[in-house]
Amino acid sequence: MDFKDLAKQTIKKCLKKGAEAAEIYLENGRNLTIEVRNGEIERIQEAASYGAGLRIIIKGRMAFASSNDLKEKSLDEAINRAIAFAKITSADPANVLPDDPRVSPVEGLYDPLIRQVPIDEKIELLRRLEKLAMKDSRITKSGGATYREGEGEIILANSNGLLKSFQATVCGYGIEVVAEKGEQKSSGSDFRQRRFYADLPPLEEVASKAAREASEMLDPRPVKTQRAAVIFDREVAYALLGGILSALNGERVLQGASFLGKKLGQKIASDFLTLIDDGLRPKGLASKPFDGEGVATQRRIIVHKGILQGYMYNTIVAKRAGVESTGNASRNSFSSLPGIGPHNFYMEAGQAKPEDIIKATKTGFLVKEITGYGINPVNGHFSGGASGFWIENGRIAFPVKGLTIAGSADEILFGLDLVANDLDLNRIVAAPTFRVKALQIGGD
Amino acid sequence: MSFQDYFFKEIPRREFLELSLKGSVALASAATLLSNLLSGETQPKEIVSLFSREDLNKVIQQALRYGGDFAEVYLEHRLSRSLLLEEGKFKSAIYRLSQGAGVRVMAGDKTGYAYTDELTMEKLLRAAEVASYIARNGKTIKPVPIKEQKGPNYITVKIPLQIVADEKRLEIMQRAHEAALAYDARIKMASIDYYDEIRGRVIANSEGLYIFDELPLIFFTVQTLGVGNNTSHLGRERISRRCGIELFDEIKPEDVARTCARESVAMLEAKEAPAGKMDVVVQNGWGGVLVHEAVGHPLEADNIAKGIGIFVGKMDKKVASDVFTLVDDGSLPNFRGTTNFDDEGTPMKRNVLIKDGVLVKFMTDLLSAKQLKMEKTGNGRRESFQFMPIPRMTNTFIERGKDNPQEIIASTKKGLYVQSISGGSVNPITGVFNFTCREAYLIENGQKTIPVKGATLVGHCLDIIQGIDAVGHDLDFGPGICGKGQIAEVTAGQPTVRIRGINVGGTRGR
Repeated sequence: MDFKDLAKQTIKKCLKKGAEAAEIYLENGRNLTIEVRNGEIERIQEAASYGAGLRIIIKGRMAFASSNDLKEKSLDEAINRAIAFAKITSADPANVLPDDPRVSPVEGLYDPLIRQVPIDEKIELLRRLEKLAMKDSRITKSGGATYREGEGEIILANSNGLLKSFQATVCGYGIEVVAEKGEQKSSGSDFRQRRFYADLPPLEEVASKAAREASEMLDPRPVKTQRAAVIFDREVAYALLGGILSALNGERVLQGASFLGKKLGQKIASDFLTLIDDGLRPKGLASKPFDGEGVATQRRIIVHKGILQGYMYNTIVAKRAGVESTGNASRNSFSSLPGIGPHNFYMEAGQAKPEDIIKATKTGFLVKEITGYGINPVNGHFSGGASGFWIENGRIAFPVKGLTIAGSADEILFGLDLVANDLDLNRIVAAPTFRVKALQIGGD
Repeated sequence: MSFQDYFFKEIPRREFLELSLKGSVALASAATLLSNLLSGETQPKEIVSLFSREDLNKVIQQALRYGGDFAEVYLEHRLSRSLLLEEGKFKSAIYRLSQGAGVRVMAGDKTGYAYTDELTMEKLLRAAEVASYIARNGKTIKPVPIKEQKGPNYITVKIPLQIVADEKRLEIMQRAHEAALAYDARIKMASIDYYDEIRGRVIANSEGLYIFDELPLIFFTVQTLGVGNNTSHLGRERISRRCGIELFDEIKPEDVARTCARESVAMLEAKEAPAGKMDVVVQNGWGGVLVHEAVGHPLEADNIAKGIGIFVGKMDKKVASDVFTLVDDGSLPNFRGTTNFDDEGTPMKRNVLIKDGVLVKFMTDLLSAKQLKMEKTGNGRRESFQFMPIPRMTNTFIERGKDNPQEIIASTKKGLYVQSISGGSVNPITGVFNFTCREAYLIENGQKTIPVKGATLVGHCLDIIQGIDAVGHDLDFGPGICGKGQIAEVTAGQPTVRIRGINVGGTRGR
């Protein structure tokens, strides 16, 4: 099937059936998952799939239909349904489609090699990974090693003459292991992904991280409820960025449902906080030449040395807000309307070594795992479950589990006083290790 | 936490996903019941007639050609609508068609799976071939020719979604929207999310099973934004059931909206929550998400079969307090977590998991039941044809107790009263779980007093179920979305319960 041709034909058909503006977002992909446990293949899953989402606007009323059956009958049905729906939604002059033909060139999104690597080699890789992780004598059980790969093509066309496409790949592997001691169980895992097969990190690195994570948390000790410094390891720092990301969503800002809504141009954090949304980073896991509705992506500084520089918008919300789209239209899949979301979103690294931050902390909590919902984007309230290590006199003293940490976004963001140099950009939302002066910690 | 679900999308494992305010889900419609079928619209049940039994036998044979001891074909067709009314506008209307087939082959502990979204014999045979890769060079069985089976029906529909005009759906949403805004001047925005779907399933396997049904589902979510002096609170209320549009005759959309608006306004007065260990009373209903996370997930048999779950080796042992009985029942009439049979064709039933504090059963799918030599409990579920079935909960709840809910509060000197919960998550290996309050109050001298800000509560699952010392007689339920690498529709329920000594993540030291 020639998808570009199908896209163009479908737009024509929508217009013929009465749409005033129309858009098609086509996805065509393939994925593979392999799981190995105790040296044996436990699961192999492989599939190819595609689908299309249609956005229709008639007299400012918008509707959407999607189908993973691209035969004429089903697509016609989807068009008819969308047109019928466009009679019942509310009119909004902001309901428009992008018309800028530009795209942002991004290097390193597609690796043709991934699919050429034989499946047996990928299975063997997992066997070796598992073996390496089980080498540590404190590790008693394997939860399994997993390899995943995917590749896909996105084709976007609309009635403003846009016809854009790109191809991308991703692959990754990881493992989960368990350390046991008496009745205690502790789990550790690591999973890494890259755009290119050859860029995957060494097996030893992934294996030892999972094993260390599981074994070093054995024999936790209780601590008292208190206020103390909290160091967020780079593994969890991203958990805090989630709520901030939601609060930067231009639609939430318009609705008055963001704690950052009235803070544009103002200081929202200490000088140590610089946040960047980068859609262009070469080989970036969330890089792409255009966003979920065809607007060219950019690299934007969202917060600069604590000052809020801007929010994130797609075309419709930008028009309602009287600004330009920032190229942040995001789609979960072909079956969803474009929402608003980041590309590669990260907090800029600092100068300190992570171990120096620990050394500089007399009493504190080094957090390795956070659970819960993070910062509440509506009111900035933060509360989470946490585990990690207790720090006494600048040294790691013992592991701690089942604690809570809580505070307000202000307490966290203005309390940021040390930032490490260990940023790993090979994740979609990333932050370096950082310290917050003091937060409420709940324990015994 | 597992890495698996941090792959393409960074969604924490086993977490009740909050519907985001904007939501990807939305649509609009209104008043009278008119036939709404567009000519030529394919209906989910038609999927049954796409392939003959002979065709399906052929696919199963192909799947076992190179080896294997079990093969299965799963066909699915899903039509859904979602409508969003927000800021006074019907912002979007979405119609989705999703269809496809998955073929699974098992050989010992190995599983091969492949799916296709093209429903043709050629693609089904190709999927069977791909799925059979893991069974190569093994021994094989001779499949039993499939034969149609019928089981009990737990889902009754009065007014089928298929004949409901979109205008009727819009009207329901509008009623909720108006009621929410009229509730209080501090309600500044309401978001009404209406979703319904009809999912047709056909399952055939090498043991001769051939079964099909059609499942309706409605999911209605109201969110309201309360704005006070220097603070805001986004409230949420949801209802969901497998039935027709008559749902809204039984539960008025206005009442759903008012319940939501009440929370938004009440929480504007919230003070700082205390931090540290304290006694917690959880109100009846959706609070059952607490046990869904704390013990439900750890009782799913996949991690037990792997020998790594927290309940490994604990069968027939006392794991909880005497007053604690936990049930998973996928046959409760028209419940959100109910189906007639699970996604592997096993009939649904009531399963008591923990009885008077003693662990008596795990929730299994076919694979874990075989590995553990345990009974099939009807918990093999999948989000869609794109996923392999895994053990999942259905409608999970703490069984009704004997205590009076008022007396539970009155006999608690000091603690936290949790009225509603956002959701939570658990590590099923270590048993460490958390859940986050949406609406909570202090208990002082046996009285529910001031509201406190949403805090995360953490603990170890065994401590929690051993620490439950009072169970009310007021069992109730709430609908949810459960994520475990794939989504499942579930219900969580409980009577009012008291748990001694949970760690509360407040901002105020005591």
